[in-house]
Amino acid sequence: MNHVITIAKREITSLFYSPIAYVVLALFALGSSLIFFNAFAPSMPASMQATFQGLVWLMILLLPGISMRLISDEFDSGTIELLMTSPLTDTQLVLGKWLGAMGFFLTLLVPTLVLVGVIEAFGDPDYGPLLTGYIGLLLVGGFYLAIGTFASAISRNQIISYMLTVFTICLFTFVIFLLSRASFIPLKLQQAMQFMFVNGHFEDFGKGILDLSRVVYFVSSTAFFLFLAVKLVESKRWR
Amino acid sequence: MIHVENLVKWYGPTRAVHNISFDVPEGQIVGFLGPNGAGKSTTIRMLTGYLPPTSGAASIDGMDVTKESEKARRQIGYLPESTPLYLEMRVEEFLHFRGKLMDMPRADRVKAIDYVSDRCGLQQIRKRVIGQLSKGNRQRVGIAQALLHDPKVLILDEPTSGLDPVQIGAVRQLIQELKGKHTILLSSHILPEVEKTADRVIIIAGGQIKADGSPTELRQRVGQGASVLVQVKASSESVHKAFAGVEGVQAVDVQQQGEWAKAVVQPKPGNELREQLGQTILTNGWAVREMRNETASLEQFFIQITADQSQVVEESVA
Repeated sequence: MNHVITIAKREITSLFYSPIAYVVLALFALGSSLIFFNAFAPSMPASMQATFQGLVWLMILLLPGISMRLISDEFDSGTIELLMTSPLTDTQLVLGKWLGAMGFFLTLLVPTLVLVGVIEAFGDPDYGPLLTGYIGLLLVGGFYLAIGTFASAISRNQIISYMLTVFTICLFTFVIFLLSRASFIPLKLQQAMQFMFVNGHFEDFGKGILDLSRVVYFVSSTAFFLFLAVKLVESKRWR
Repeated sequence: MIHVENLVKWYGPTRAVHNISFDVPEGQIVGFLGPNGAGKSTTIRMLTGYLPPTSGAASIDGMDVTKESEKARRQIGYLPESTPLYLEMRVEEFLHFRGKLMDMPRADRVKAIDYVSDRCGLQQIRKRVIGQLSKGNRQRVGIAQALLHDPKVLILDEPTSGLDPVQIGAVRQLIQELKGKHTILLSSHILPEVEKTADRVIIIAGGQIKADGSPTELRQRVGQGASVLVQVKASSESVHKAFAGVEGVQAVDVQQQGEWAKAVVQPKPGNELREQLGQTILTNGWAVREMRNETASLEQFFIQITADQSQVVEESVA
């Protein structure tokens, strides 16, 4: 466990030294404010449901920017050799990397608390749905970053791992969103696809419903991609 | 301390290391010498647990590098070939990071970082960002991180590559100072490098061990059959005739250079010719301006082996 934290800490620090992190930070703050103020008007409900929904889409493009360097960078600079010859397991490495990215994701969410303040100033928000909304965002972010961690272990090229992450996330969001409305897809298949739909699972969190099955969906799919990432790092040893 | 047995590594269809076996007793400094692409780094990477061997086994202090990899890795301080470091970190920060990965408690880390900073001359640059350091200083940081947890075995892959002569001297001296405290395996493609620091030299080419022994032993092996070069003031014919008559001479090759004749005399194995050649020159009353053993230096030996490498590669393809 100590090793995981050591790796995570170093990852967060080094993220703050990379220009891409600041671009992501700025775009995230800008994007969340735009989405928020788009739905911010008199007589609208004092909630952030629409903002949260929008952020889940925005994260598709922004979070892979954080995760793309996680493992690919180690291979590119050769520092992976230092890590792999330390008494550090591949699982500890992958978990540490993912946790570091999650730490940075938390920093991304901090500026959005200003928006909560705005609602508080102009209305009377219900804090329940706000809390579950943030929990939901963390779960979605964790899932996206797990996909990103996996993709960053595939190639030492950061652009490739970025594209691969966006593509994979799109499979779980955009592609399903479009296909589940296409008439040529049989109903059964549409329902099956709905089950994989990230935004569908997230919806409840925005409304203030904390459904265990939704949590299980995110936790298990995150674990699945992290598991794939560990296997991929292990396989690098054998090549 | 280091035990290697029939180590083999294939990268797809290419054989990088072929049946390498050696043992390194505790406290010895071993130089791993070979041309680029000889399989030095591959062997080292298998020892440090970075690459798994295709077949064969290796152990560090009795711990198998594949079966008890984590334990074995704890015994090793390793400087990889290109000195990979986190460029955005500060020296001290980086050393703390390495120490944490080695499970050193904070107090031990602080002490160890002080010690290696002294040893590797990092005191002045402890707070500097690694990315801004010169190549020589980065190399010091690399060696410092390898030493940090006071490992039994120190493995340095080309510790002096890319350094200037002064820095090379400093690294060499550092390695000498570490003698006795650690078992050291260092690799290089530069011969004098290894010759000066190591107790023992293992020459590897084409993925195989070509020679193994102390620098002196290797030089003796090469020294036998060293030809003698003589320059005398005489005609080439008379020199050829006189030298060919000396006992123990295998072949004589003479070239006329103006008034001087330059002869290369090849002895039969096991013969030392200089005394008799001197006698011959005296009897003939020739003026001499040079006479020396053309030391088949380790350098030549090395070049000869290196030349063989291309053949080995062709064999493995065929």
